[in-house]
Formats: sequence, structure tokens, C-alpha cells
Amino acid sequence: MLPVNYQNIDGLKRLAEEFKAAFMKDFRSYIRYPAWLIGDLVSTPLWFFFFAVGVTLFAPTTQTSEYHGFSFFFFGFIFIVLFSTTIWGVGQSVRNEQMAGTLEQFFLAPANRLTLIMGRWARIFVTDLLVVGYTTGLLYLFGGGPLPLYQPLLFTFALGLFEVGSIGFGLLFAGLTMKLKSYNTLSNLVFFGYMILTGALFPVTVIPMPFRYVSLAIPFTYFIDLMRHAALLTPTILPEGLEYVSGILVALIMLLAGFAAFNWIEQDARVRGSIATN
Amino acid sequence: MVSGLRGTLGVLAAIFWKGMKHYVRYPGSLLIYLMLPFLFTMLIFGMGRFIGGGNAALNFATRTGTSNVLVYEMLGGAVWMTSWVVVEDVGVALRDEQMKGTLEQNFLAPVNRFTLLIGISLTDIAITTAIFLVVVGATLAFTMPGAYLAFFQAFLILLIGLIPLFGLGFFFSGFVIKFKEPYIFTQMVNLIFGTLTGTYYPVTILPFWVQFLSSLLPQTYVISNMRQIILANQTLVSLYGSIFILLALAVVYPTLGYLVFKKLEKDASVTGELSKY
Repeated sequence: MLPVNYQNIDGLKRLAEEFKAAFMKDFRSYIRYPAWLIGDLVSTPLWFFFFAVGVTLFAPTTQTSEYHGFSFFFFGFIFIVLFSTTIWGVGQSVRNEQMAGTLEQFFLAPANRLTLIMGRWARIFVTDLLVVGYTTGLLYLFGGGPLPLYQPLLFTFALGLFEVGSIGFGLLFAGLTMKLKSYNTLSNLVFFGYMILTGALFPVTVIPMPFRYVSLAIPFTYFIDLMRHAALLTPTILPEGLEYVSGILVALIMLLAGFAAFNWIEQDARVRGSIATN
Repeated sequence: MVSGLRGTLGVLAAIFWKGMKHYVRYPGSLLIYLMLPFLFTMLIFGMGRFIGGGNAALNFATRTGTSNVLVYEMLGGAVWMTSWVVVEDVGVALRDEQMKGTLEQNFLAPVNRFTLLIGISLTDIAITTAIFLVVVGATLAFTMPGAYLAFFQAFLILLIGLIPLFGLGFFFSGFVIKFKEPYIFTQMVNLIFGTLTGTYYPVTILPFWVQFLSSLLPQTYVISNMRQIILANQTLVSLYGSIFILLALAVVYPTLGYLVFKKLEKDASVTGELSKY
């Protein structure tokens, strides 16, 4: 039997058109409900403020040069926003159609469903960037100072690795929505696990030793480490060259594994008749 | 219309069990409520250790008056989760019925609206009690095993604080019916509550005008009083001033909340908003 998506792929132009259509569809849904935009603009900086104030209780009265303080946390906050795109952008895309009762139409359309999912990812990635930019400006106005970015090209490259890996991870999650009814519970647990274990908000060296092994086994730990290294010149966990090479390999493996897992789960769900079950 | 004590109790019991069955059927949501205070505390503590290094606990004690970081943060986190439950459940309950297409049936049933809202609140008393017992109970059992009396007093504070919180829930319930989009709304409200009520820090470090807003929210007093009782050996009697404020809010918020709910519900029934989503 041919892979589920095989018959729909007939050229890059068509894929691009499908991607554009999926992007515009999601974008229109987003701007149709201004409350979503307002919610993003209000709650995103508020989350940062909420954590930042809590953490100031532990800070010394005089700042030392051992940490990048504000910038470190702000990049951590960006890494969290990016991962939320993976979970609630890519992963949630199938679930949203399932809840709206349009998943069958979505899967019957003569279009590659992965392209459709990517359209949603792209829309959320763009709006996330806007929200991050807006929050950066807002915090600058409130006296946070400019955000350092010492190696912008390397940062973009590391961000690319993060996105490639996270799309693969998101595809796995999108597949799981066809299997699991308690998707929200799983997504929340994974999200908080990511925040705590990957060193997004604090270096993994802070994590006690038995748990640090778990952190070091998570690919996102290294993507984050590379981005932060490029932005703030912090030391890397592995030797820098090795971390880049392994990062490329792991990101590609994650993408391919996510793609394969999504196809396998979809095929299995078709056989079992559980695609639109919620 | 169902009337009489027995009839009303029967209705309340039915709504209560309906809510409980929902939690039993979807245990994931309760699991999240139970885990979030621990996860948030771990995050804050990890970030704090990074920032403060070896002196993190000392710096914390200088600013809060206690070196017991875990209990301090978990009390805030547990109260935040209780308000989260009330906002999500009471605030969104009628909207959920609207989305399922069962709101009209609920409103056509011979049941008083106030009874309906109280019934939803009863489920939340059970759920918030479970959150408090597990989150605060487990934390105290490991860190302050002899603090039974303080634990009991803190629980009483929580129960008093739930009454004005339900009043806020009634208000949100009407607001959500009127303006739709409950999930964005509840996300913002929960975050604003977490920020304003001193969940992970004393409200005294906030700007003065923010402190004024904090003083309007019952959770601010609940969190502060719980910390005073458990970490500073205060009692309900010695904190009578803020208990009195909580009791006053327990009269004002449910009254105002129900009036606003009735007004918005009436408007929605006139304009046909009730069946729109």
C-alpha cells in the first residue's frame, strides 16, 4: 500500500499553493476573533512579568557579572513561546479540526495534510514572532534595556535547527491527537516538562544530578543551548562544533521520525475508524 | 419552579454530581490542577537558585521574612489553582452548555438561576478542597509535619475566601455569555489573578497602584493570611482585620456578581445572544 500522503504530492508548486491556502485559512480564523490577538498581547508579557517578579526574591541586592539576568530569562521566555508553537500549533492542528467536526473534510481534501498542518505552524510562528517583538519593545520601554544578540547568523541557524526538530516533534503530537482523548493533559505535562528540564529558564547545571541526565537526553536542551550561546555567548554543554553537528543530525532525525509517526498513526486510525473520535 | 428545601437540595445534588462525574470522566484536568503548583514552584525555585546562587534562600528570606521557600510558594500556588478552578468552572460552565447546545434546556428547567450557579460552585468546593489537601497537605506533611492546627486554620481561610471568589465567578459567567471567547478571557483572568494576588511574592513589592488592585481581590488576603498562619505562627483571631475584609467581600462579590449575571443574561435573552456562539 502507498503511504497515506503519497497520492497528493505532485509538485512543489502545488505544495506551495496548499501551504499558502492553509496559512491564509488559519490567519483568517485568527483575525476573525480579535480576542485571540488581544489575549496574546496581554498575556504574553504578563507571563514574563509574573515569573520575573517571583524570581527577583532570590536575586542578590547587587547584580553580579556571573549571569545575564534579564536577558537570560527573556531568551528563556522566547524558547517557551517557540515550543508552545510546537505543542499548540502543529500538535493541536488536528485536534482543532477534530473538535470542529471538519477533520474528515480536511483529510478528504485533495491536498497534502502535512502541508496543511505546516500552514497552521507558519501562521502561529509569524504571530509568535510579532508577539515576541512587541513584548521586547514593551519591556525596553519599561526600562529592561536592549536585548543582546552577539551572533545573529548563528542564532538564526540554531533557531532553524530548533524549528526543524520541533516540527518533527509536533507532527508526532498531531498524530497522537488521533489516538488520545486526554490530549490537553499530555500537552500540558510535556510543556511543563520542557520548561523545567531543558534549561529554557535556567542552565541545566542547576538541575540536581539524577534529573540532569534526563535533561541531557532531551534534544531541545541542545537546541536551546546553541541559541543561547549564539545570543549571549554563554558556554555550550558539549564542545561547540560537536553540538552543531549533532544538532543538525538530531533535528533531521526528529523531522523524519515525526513524519513517519504521523503517517503511521493516521493509517492506523483510518483502519480503526478513530480519526474523528473525540 | 422547584421550591422548598428538599427540592432545592435535590437540584443542588444533581448539579453537584453532574460536575463530579465530569471530573471523574476526564481526570486529566484534576491531575493538571494538582501538578501545576508543584511545577510552577520548581520553575521559580530553579530560576531563583540560578539567580541567587548559594545565597538564594537567604535573599528570599530577607525579602519575605521566611526561609521556607517551598511552603511559601506552594501556598500561593495552591490558592491560585483554586481560583483557576472557579474561573474555569463557574465562569465558563454556562458557556460550555451554550457550546453543547444544552443551555436552553438548562434555563428552561424549573430551577432558579441562583441555584444553578450554587450547584456548579458546590462541585468546585469539593475540587478545591482536594487541591488544597493534596498540594498544601503533602507539602506540610514533608516539611512541617506538626502543623495540623495551622493547616486546619488555613483551610478555613480558604473556605471563607471561596465565597467572594464564587461571586467573581458569577460575574464572569454572565460576561462570558455576553462576550463569548471564554478561553482567552479565562487565561487572561487567571494570569492577572496570579500576578496581582502575590502568588509567588508578597504584594508589597508591587507598585502602589497595583497593590490597590490587589487589595480588591479575595485571594490576596487568603494567600497572605495562610502564610501568616503557617509560617509566622499567627492565628485566625490575630488576623481578624483581614478576616473581616474577607467576610465583607464574601457579601459584596456574590451579590454584585449575581446582579451582573442576571443583567447580562436578561440582555442576552432579549437580543437572542443566548443561542449564539
